Formats: sequence, C-alpha cells, structure tokens
Amino acid sequence: MSLDLDARLVALDEAVRVADGRLEPEEVGAGRRVIEKAGARLGLGIESTVAALAGPTGAGKSLLFNALSGGDAAAVGRRRPTTSEARAAVWGDGADTLLDWLDVRMRHRVDGDGLEGLVLLDLPDFDSVETAHRLEVDRIVELVDLLVWVVEPQKYADAALHDRYLRPLRRHADGMVFLLNQADLLSASEAGALRDDATRLLGEDGLRDTPVLVISALTGLGLEELRSLLVERVAARDAAVARLAADVEAAAETLRRWCGDMQPPGVRKEQRERLVAALSEAAGVPRVVEAVGEAHRRRGALATGWPFVRWVRRLKPDPLRRLRLGEGGGDGERFGRTSMPPATDVQRAQVATAVRALADEAGAGLPPPWPRLVRASAASDEARVLDRLDHAVGTADIEPSAPRWWWVASMLQRLVAAVFGVGALWIALAGVAGLLRIEDVVPLPERNGAPIATWLVVIGLAGGLLLASLTRLVNAAGARRRRRSAERALRPGIEAVADELVVGPVERELAAHETLRRSLAVATGDEDRTARAP
Amino acid sequence: MTPELPGALRRLRDDLAALRLDLELPDAAHARRARDDLVGQTDDYLLPRLEQMKAPVLMVVGGSTGAGKSTIVNSLVGAEVSPAGVLRPTTRGPTLVCHPDDLRWFDDDRILPRLPRATGGPPTPGTLLLVPAPEVPAGLALLDSPDIDSVLSENRALATQLLAAADAWLFVTTAARYADAVPWEFLATARERGTALAIVLNRVPGDAEREVTAHLQEMMRAQRIDAVLLVVGETHLEQERLREVDLRPVRRWLDGLAADAQARAELIRRTLTGALRSLPGRAGAVERAGAEQLAAAADLRSEADLAYASARQEIEDALRSGSLLRGEVVARWHEVVGTGELMRELQSRLASLRDRLASVVTGREMPSDQLREAVEHRLEAVVRAAAERAAERAALAWSERPAGRALVETAPGLSQASMELRSETREQVRAWQGHVMELVRKEGSSKRATARLASLGVNGAGFTVMLAVFASTGGLTGLETVVAGGTSAVGHKLLEALLGDQAVRALAARARDDLVDRVDRILRNEADRFAGLIEGRVPEAEAVARLHTAIDGVRRAS
Repeated sequence: MSLDLDARLVALDEAVRVADGRLEPEEVGAGRRVIEKAGARLGLGIESTVAALAGPTGAGKSLLFNALSGGDAAAVGRRRPTTSEARAAVWGDGADTLLDWLDVRMRHRVDGDGLEGLVLLDLPDFDSVETAHRLEVDRIVELVDLLVWVVEPQKYADAALHDRYLRPLRRHADGMVFLLNQADLLSASEAGALRDDATRLLGEDGLRDTPVLVISALTGLGLEELRSLLVERVAARDAAVARLAADVEAAAETLRRWCGDMQPPGVRKEQRERLVAALSEAAGVPRVVEAVGEAHRRRGALATGWPFVRWVRRLKPDPLRRLRLGEGGGDGERFGRTSMPPATDVQRAQVATAVRALADEAGAGLPPPWPRLVRASAASDEARVLDRLDHAVGTADIEPSAPRWWWVASMLQRLVAAVFGVGALWIALAGVAGLLRIEDVVPLPERNGAPIATWLVVIGLAGGLLLASLTRLVNAAGARRRRRSAERALRPGIEAVADELVVGPVERELAAHETLRRSLAVATGDEDRTARAP
Repeated sequence: MTPELPGALRRLRDDLAALRLDLELPDAAHARRARDDLVGQTDDYLLPRLEQMKAPVLMVVGGSTGAGKSTIVNSLVGAEVSPAGVLRPTTRGPTLVCHPDDLRWFDDDRILPRLPRATGGPPTPGTLLLVPAPEVPAGLALLDSPDIDSVLSENRALATQLLAAADAWLFVTTAARYADAVPWEFLATARERGTALAIVLNRVPGDAEREVTAHLQEMMRAQRIDAVLLVVGETHLEQERLREVDLRPVRRWLDGLAADAQARAELIRRTLTGALRSLPGRAGAVERAGAEQLAAAADLRSEADLAYASARQEIEDALRSGSLLRGEVVARWHEVVGTGELMRELQSRLASLRDRLASVVTGREMPSDQLREAVEHRLEAVVRAAAERAAERAALAWSERPAGRALVETAPGLSQASMELRSETREQVRAWQGHVMELVRKEGSSKRATARLASLGVNGAGFTVMLAVFASTGGLTGLETVVAGGTSAVGHKLLEALLGDQAVRALAARARDDLVDRVDRILRNEADRFAGLIEGRVPEAEAVARLHTAIDGVRRAS
C-alpha cells in the first residue's frame, strides 16, 4: 500500500479526533467511517480488485455481467426491475472474505482469462420504485474499488443518476467508467453524438477524467475495449488504494470547510494585559496594596513612634490582618478564604468583558463554529475564577518587611525617652522635696541659665518628637516602596490565574484548530494552503 | 360549483401568495413548493377553466426524458413541431399544438399567464411556442412538455407547472422506464388531484409486450391509478416519425375524444372537480405549515426575550446591590464634597469659574467630571457584560433549533453585543445624568426639597441622588463599603444623613425608574436584532386565520 495513503489516513484520524465534539457530528462520523472502511479494506488485501456494475433499471447491467463473466448467472428480463440482489463473479481463487465483508452471497467462479483478481458485482438498480434496491446500491457503492456505470440512451441524463451519485462521487473520477450501453439501437453518428453529450454532462459533474465507452452487451460492441481497461486496472492493483485515497480526500474536504485558510491572530499581549488588569481589579489588588502601605506605616509608627503615644495605634487593627492577608508568607500553603470583600458586579462584568474580548480577538477571522468554541473554552466557571483569585492574593508574599533601622530608631527613641524620664523624675523629686520643705536633698544644678533637669526634659521631648516625625517621613517612603513591591508580588499569582483559566484554554482551542487545519491539509493532499493571517 | 367559486378561489389564491414561510423548518421547503404549486394551478388552470368551460381540452404530454414525447407529438401532427433526438433532454421549451380555429383560446394570457407566447422559431426555454396544425382535431390541444426527471431542474419545475395546468395528462413512459420511481411520484400526484390520465407505454419490444404490459397494469392497480393504457411498440422511425400503424392506439383514443363533445366535457369536469376537491386539503397543509412557522417564531422570540429579560434582571440586581457605589464612585463623591466645590458653588459662581479655569490650565479634571465618568464607566461595564451574555445565550438557544440556526448563520456577530452598544450606552447614561440634574433643578425650587439637599447645590444634589439610586434598596450595604473605603467620618455622616433624607429618596426613586427605562431601551434595541431576523419571514397570525377562512370559503363554494 502506498505511503501516501498511510500518511493521509493518519492525518484524517488525527483530524477526526480533534473535530470530535467540535464540528458537525455527522461529518465527523463520516470521516471515522472512512478510516474504519480503509482499515477493513486494506486488511483484506489489495490483490483483488472489486468492480461493480451499477446503473438504472433496464440499462443492461445483468446482460453485460453475463457477457463479461461468460455465463448466464444473472437473470436478464424485460420486467423492470429485474435484479434485486447483488451477485458476484470471481476471477481466480480467494476473495471469499472480501465478499463476506461486502455481504454479497451469490457468487460464482470464472476461470482466469487475464482478469485474475477481479471481483465483478452485478448490482440492482437505483431508480425504480423498489427503494430496497436503492439502499443496497448505496451500501455497496461506498465499498467497491471500481465503479462501472452502465446506462442506456434513454437514461444517461437522468437526475437520479447525476444528482444522487455522480456529482457526490466527483473525487472518484479515476475509479469510474461510464458505459453507454445498447449502442445497437443507434446509428454510428448518433452514438458519437451521444458519447459527446455524455462526456459533456460528466464534465459538468466534475468527472472530466472518467472514460466514456459506447458498448453493446447484446452484440459485443466495445466489450474488448472494456475488458482491456479492466485488465489494466486489475493488473495494476491500485484501484482499492486510489478509491480509499479519494474517500479520505472527500471526507477531509468536507471537514475542511469549517477550518478556513488562515491562522487566527492568537492571544495578543495587550489583550492579556487588559485581562490581567480586570482580574487584578476583581481580586481587590488596589485594596490589598493600600492595606500593605497602611500596615507598614502602622508598624513603623509602633516601632519608631514616640513611645508615650504610639500605643494608641494598637487600638486600630492591623489592616492586613483585618483582611486575613499575609499570613501564608508566600509558601503557597493556605486554607480558607481571605476576608476580602467579594468582587462587585461591576468588577465581574469587567472580567467577563475582558475574557470575551480576548477570546473574540484571539479567534478573529475563524469561520463558525470556532468563534463560539474559543469563547466557550475561555468562559470557564466564574466562581472558580474568583476563588482562584482569592487564593492567589491570599498566598502571595506581601508581608511588608521590617527594616533593620527600626531597631536603631527604637533604641534611640528609648534613649531619648530615658533622658526625658530622668529629667522629669528629677524635677518631680525636686518638686516633692520643695513641697516637703526639705532643702538641698535634691540638687538642681544649673547650666546655661536653666536647670540640667529641665534641659533633660526639653531635649528628651524634642528629640523624641523630632525622631518620630523623621521616622514617619521615612516610613511613608518605605510604605510607598512596599506598596510597589506588593503589587509586583501579587502580579504573578493573578497572571497564573489568567493563563491557566483563560489564556491557556483559548490557546489550546486555537492549537486544536491549527492541528485540525494542518492534518486536513495533509489528508486532502494539499499542504500548500497554509497562509498566515497578516 | 356555485357562482361564488371564482371569487372564493381568487381570495384563497391571494391569501396563499401572501403567506410567508421563510423560517427553515424541516418541511418548510416542501410547504413553500406546495404553496407555489397551489397559486400556480389556480392562475394557470382553475380560474381560466371555471370561466371558460367551453375552451378546448388542454392535453399535456408529459413523462420521462427519452420516453418519446416529442416523437409522438410530431407523429400525431405529421410535422416536426418539437425537436426529437437521441441527446437528452431534448425538449427544453414547451410547445402547444392545436387546430388553427382553437388558437384564439391560447394566444392570450387566459391560461399560463406567466409564460410568454411565441409563434415561430424553435422552442426556447421560458416561452410557450404556439403551433397551429390542421391535423390536430378541433377542441383538443396538445402541449409537449419538458421531461420530469433529467438533470435540468428547470425542466422539472416547468413540467410540474404544466401538468398542474392540464385538463388531461398523456403520460409517456417506456418499457425501460415504467418502473422508475420518479414517474410514479407524478402519477400519484395525478391520482390525488383527480386529473384525467392516459398512459402511453412507448418503445415496447415486440417480444416483451405481453409481459411488460401485464406488469404495468399490475403496478397501476396496486397504486390505484385509473388510466387508459396505450401501448406503442419499439420500431425504427421513418423520417423521425412513428409509423402510423404503431401510433394507431394513441390516435384512435384522441380522435374518439375529439369526436365526442360529451366525453370532452366529461373529462374537463372530472379533472376540474378533482382539482377543486384536492384544493382544501393541500391548502390546509400549507395553513398548518404557516401555523408551525408562527409557533416556531414565537418560540424563537420567547428565547430571545428570556435571554434579555435575564440581562435586565442582572443589571437591576447590580443597581440594587450597591456594588456600583464601591471604590471610585464614592471616593469621587467625597472629593466633590470635600473640595468644597459645593460650598463654593453656593457662595460664588466666580469661584467655580476660577476652579474651571484652573482645571483647564493644569489639565486636571474637575472632581465632578471625574465622578460623572466614574458613574458612566460602571454603568457601562454592567450593561455591556449583561448584553454580551444575553446575546450569547440567545444565539446559542437559537442555534439549537433548525429554524433559528439558519437565521443565526445569516447574521454573523449575532452572538455578540451590537457594535453600537458602547456608544448607545454612554449616550443613555449621559442623558440620564442630565435628566437627574434637570430633575434636581426643578424639584430643588419646589417646596418639597429640604434645606439639606438644597445646600448641596444642583451638582452636589444631583450626584447625591445618583448615589442614592445605587444605594436605594441595599442602602446600608452600600454605606458599609464607604466605611471600609476609609473615607472620612464626616463625609460618611453627611452621606448617611442625605441618603436617609425623604426628598433624596423620592428623587432617587424617580431617577431610578428613568435609568431602568433607559436600560430597557438599550436592551430592546439589542433584542430587536433577533426579532428583526424573524420579521418578514413568517406569516402574521391574521394571515393564517384569513387563509383558514378562505379555504372554508372554497370548500363551501365548490
């Protein structure tokens, strides 16, 4: 068997797998049937060539069958329709399993006369009032390697023949022969005109390459030509493969209508960026970032603020803790939800719109049903998206780090607080002693025109406040920095959600389309039409 | 047959012709053909025949390609009036042969009004060639029709039309053809319509005459075909004509008919009665198809309505939940209040002018403009998402139905919101904001307005009413988010007090109704894209009812 058919079958098989559940079930099923049929037919060997005599009632199929097989196995009659069951003539040995597969029971053997390997079938008609005949013909026409159409001058232009069979079989032009029987009723010039007209009609059907022979089964006119044509095809043993290749091509071409000729643009960076922005908004990233800054300022004030008032800050809860954030420490381990307020309708709407826009643009230019498929792949469960966003925010490492200088500042604050304390205690003791009129127990030495104790209080107080306002400024700057880094820390989690739940599925769907398009191009034997979208 | 019959027929014909059956239901193509057949038969045959019972018998020679219709007509006339030959199909234009005295019956548009007449030259498709021939007996006209089964589909359509216009069929088949499926479908039609029928079995080989004739008769009995059977043997033609001896059965039958006026009248009446009797049933089938179209259209409409009703619900829920208040909107409102813009507006318009100048110079937007935009963005996002979802849902529901599927395919982009949605939403939201301002301006001067609201000025009061719309029912939840947003307690207190204000509530209720109206309008425009596709493809309910009455009318009159 030819490598080409093998490769095409593999390609069609892949295409059918991808198309399953995406394209029209009927057409996908037709492709699958072709693959199954090809497997069965190739398994039965291509030593035998199956040719079928098909045609309308009264065309002389059975007469021709008898003339070719040299017997009177087929009943010939005037009463229409005559033949009601397919019958086989086998040249040479074997072919029994092949005929079992074809489900043809009536068989008879013909001694080889140059046509060894030929299995000739005489079919019932397809145009009489007996619909069962038509069904039998439809079944066998699908399976045989060579189709020999037998018509007569009255019927060669019938719609039943051209519309139902020839036009749909236009890919099998090489595997068909068109016989104009009953030439004995015509003059030579009439026969020539008839032959030209039949060739014209076949050309309109797309069957320019199908040979047209004028014969008479009654007188034997043209039978030699037919026989040598059959000998040639049987000896070449290529009819089965050619037929299957044409079937593969037809099935692939049918599916290909849904694929278009170009690659869609795919997910663009700007669209992904827009989606990430909408997801960030829905995940409450601005609020988290705000809380990180707030938390840093609060913790900084607690560590480095003026010791005598900084405890007031403890009365308000830590904004990060309030949202139940930053507890996971970025190790991905986390159970339960954060206490972030749920995404609002507006935010959800913005996410939905961003998802749709991304899917629509990624699949732009694709024929139906792909835009719908791409959209469906992107629009996953909304609740799941929100849940994953919450998890991403909850597990991100956004805990603001405590800077080392806080310890120094804290020490300094304690120092100036101690200075203040010593001064204050000194003054207090001196005051108490003064009240008790105990002189000179607590000395109050002066320096630069004021008692040292007063200096201590003033320096302690001013130093503390100065230090507090200085650290406040530095902490504000630190909060800004930490907000930025929290934003950076949150982004990968949000991006992961976008990629996993939206961008990934969309790209997978587009990849499926591309696989289908490529494998169908191989299956139709036409790999050049792979133009890219501009 | 009553004198009212022609009028009733004309009414039925007009009602049928006006009946649209353009939804692609499984049997819609069949129903359309039946409708066109009925209209055609009424025009081509029933009305002319009822008016002129004395007109000659129109005998249409029909049958398969290659059966020898033209050869028989030529042989009967004794002249080449219709070309015959071995190439199929031979006859492409119909030829009418009649006695010269009868020509007047056929050269106007009494029958077959849509086929232009020709009086010379070869038969051409699309015209009816009239050939006067003295050999044809008076009172009988032969019409050589194109075939019923060749690859030329226009031949089939014309043959069907001509056969419907016939007083009698001379149906030609052959020994090779008589068991074909297609001719028997036509014969079954003739039986249903009660058309008078004669079958010519042509080209019968001498040795097969008995067997084939017997089989054909058997088939005719089985199919309940009541017809004269005329057998013509297979012979070599002499100058393209059948020999007189072979043609004798046909000629004898025709001559007998021509000589017997009584028999002719009988034949005409038989076909006419049959056709009239078949009419109500056939028209009834078309009426049922019309009703099915109506039902399918209603089903499609309700699917689209359902999708957009849920979109409306979605938007209303968003309005009610107070979620539009979160974040920016309230922050901007506080800015409007906080910057003292309101106060300044109250105190002096000059100050606000200065502010505006400053905003032009610095390029910064006024807080009130920012608030306006924030409201606009939020509303737009919600409306857009809801409209997208509705379009997707409606398109999906439609494509699950055969009729809807064909419609969706004709309108790409139906599964998405319309292109105009964005601009239309913006326009409506802006108009709504203008309306709210207008409302506040009008009500502000009335007695019902409270001092607190009036103190905010038109701008501030307007924005407050907008906020109240978004917080109208879920008001408190809306306010909680304000606290969470970390805004000043003073601003919060002010807002809380304002939202509790009776006047604000009353205004908010009216503003809300207006907003819902506008959203409705937007969604209706979106939904109309679906409804518009159905429009003009289905009959109106009255048209189907009218057809029913017309059918009854014909039944009573005939």
